[in-house]
Amino acid sequence: MTVASGVGYVLIALGPAFSLFASVIAKKPFLILTLLSSTLFWLMSLIVLAGAWRAFLPVKSTELWPYSILILTSVGFQEGIRIGFWRLFKKMEDMLNAFADRVSKPRLFLTDKMLLALAGGLGHGLAHAVFFCLSLLTPAFGPATFYVDKCSNIPFFLISAIIALGFVIIHTFSMVIAFNGYTEGKRKDQIFVPFAHLIAAVITLINLVPGGCNVGLPLLCIMAGTTLYYSWQLVWRRLTEHQTTRSSD
Amino acid sequence: MPPPDDPPSTPTRTSIIDSLGVEIVGVMSPVSICMLLVVLILTSLSSSSTTSTSSPPPVTAATLIYVESDSDSPSHKLLGAVLDAAAFVALIAAATFVLVLLYYYNFTSFLKNYLRFSVFFVLFSMGGSIMASLLQHFSIPLDAPTSIILLLNFAILGVLSVFSPAVPILLRQSYMVSVAVIVAVWFARLPEWTTWVLLIALALYDLAAVLCPHGPLRILVELASSREEELPALVYEARPTDSSHPVSAPVSSPVASLGSVEMQPVSETSNSNSNSVDEEERSPLVSSPPVVRENLSNFNHEQTRESHNSNHAVVEMETGESETLPLVEREGHRSSSNSDSEFEMFDSTRGIRLGLGDFVFYSVLVGRAAMYDLMTVYACYLAIISGLGCTLILLSVFRHALPALPISITLGVIFYFLTRLLMEPFVVGASTNLVMF
Repeated sequence: MTVASGVGYVLIALGPAFSLFASVIAKKPFLILTLLSSTLFWLMSLIVLAGAWRAFLPVKSTELWPYSILILTSVGFQEGIRIGFWRLFKKMEDMLNAFADRVSKPRLFLTDKMLLALAGGLGHGLAHAVFFCLSLLTPAFGPATFYVDKCSNIPFFLISAIIALGFVIIHTFSMVIAFNGYTEGKRKDQIFVPFAHLIAAVITLINLVPGGCNVGLPLLCIMAGTTLYYSWQLVWRRLTEHQTTRSSD
Repeated sequence: MPPPDDPPSTPTRTSIIDSLGVEIVGVMSPVSICMLLVVLILTSLSSSSTTSTSSPPPVTAATLIYVESDSDSPSHKLLGAVLDAAAFVALIAAATFVLVLLYYYNFTSFLKNYLRFSVFFVLFSMGGSIMASLLQHFSIPLDAPTSIILLLNFAILGVLSVFSPAVPILLRQSYMVSVAVIVAVWFARLPEWTTWVLLIALALYDLAAVLCPHGPLRILVELASSREEELPALVYEARPTDSSHPVSAPVSSPVASLGSVEMQPVSETSNSNSNSVDEEERSPLVSSPPVVRENLSNFNHEQTRESHNSNHAVVEMETGESETLPLVEREGHRSSSNSDSEFEMFDSTRGIRLGLGDFVFYSVLVGRAAMYDLMTVYACYLAIISGLGCTLILLSVFRHALPALPISITLGVIFYFLTRLLMEPFVVGASTNLVMF
């Protein structure tokens, strides 16, 4: 329904992402590069998954189990890739530290590492929002709107925008949690991330049931809020610990 | 107990990631803006011109041999597209050789005026037709005399800004991007198969022309560097905001369409920064304007940002081109002197330069992807940007002219077909059922 609603849907899905970008990431060009490469990474993982599943498509939407297998394999693959992403991140950290030593500047601070994790996560979230939500939004700029059978009280675009918003938050902050967890070696953080991702993806399965989106959407938002809260606590703890260790020298 | 460190986590601490990658982002943002504008123009115009798609595509240099029509078989289309692409590349190669000849015999004023004319033509005539279609599509109430006057002003200012060193760099960059947008929108009207085959053929030609020993662009680059002159061309220059470490190697990719070249006037400004002249008397070319030595000072004082910044504004204004940097021999750069015909990318002490042809063909690829679906647009955009990043990294490793088209175009084409064939059924199927991960 017109350009206004199209732009509105885009902002619902990507508003927090844009504000994160403008306030944090746009200031440091290196973070922009990190964001672009992590988006590319996510895109490549999606292509690999799509290639693997190509033979089995199209999946009938009336049954639950093909989609659950799809979700399980996809989430599993992406979480596995996240570990690979973390290894790349470690290598990059080493290279940056070596470069810093060469030009005699200080090494990476804790906040730098967290910013890099945030940029990586935002890249993943942005890729998700773009490929799952934005690419389908083109009709929303036109004169009408669209409803899905299974969820006939909310326009399709609004649902997908809200789901994309939830996933942007989940992807962004779970990357922060994951990197911190792998760095510190804390099992709890490391388990939380795949778990949260899986639960969120399974929640979207509820949308397959007629009328399920009325339950699924709030649950997804709760999940996003949980991830946000968890990462907030983690970062707060880390920063205060770091602060006290520094000032207690 | 060791003394406490600096005050903890004050915002004034600078870290290395603050300034790393400025040049790369400085090149990627105009490329992104150009692609965005092309996609916007194409999508808004294509929705209004559904009736005109039935008219045959314009007869251009790229459709000399075969004009694609919907009723042909795929193999026929492919053959026709290959022939078209071969003819186009041959035309480009011929134009580049003519360019080399003209440059060799020092027909500089001819080249300069031809380039001015071509920029005016692009901005006024091709830009005018795009403006007319946009006005029509959005029903903007602008009458003909006003729009002609505005267009004329726009075009004339563009001609002035492209070749005059006294124009602010932002204006020059904007006009470069507009020229690229206009040419790309025009190119994207080619039929589909022809476009794809043409892009691949140009990427291959680029590779050959720059890297082979007798390729025209390589000859051009070597000629220009042996004369220690600036090769005039339509080139986008990304000025860095601070002096970063000198990475310099010309990266060039071939002239695609216009093949026009211009000699930048070397001694434009002489009144700048006399203070830094004394410090840096190292230029082998004593006759070069003080401006040139200023560049050298910028280059050498990479750590002293203050001095650089203080002079930088002046430098930018005065030495609009910065092409006049023959000095860098001493430093072991053979860079900066030349930018090739239009599609060359290299970085001097001033920043990386990317030829306009690269802009044009990246945008053509993305524009063609936009005609299919937005998902392919994003995938191709990411592919092109990552190809550009790889090329920049290779530039810093190899330090000589490198073609900017091949990696990006290859990645873009691969990602386009992968997305279209593999990813789209998967993602669209999942998301229309509201199952996402």
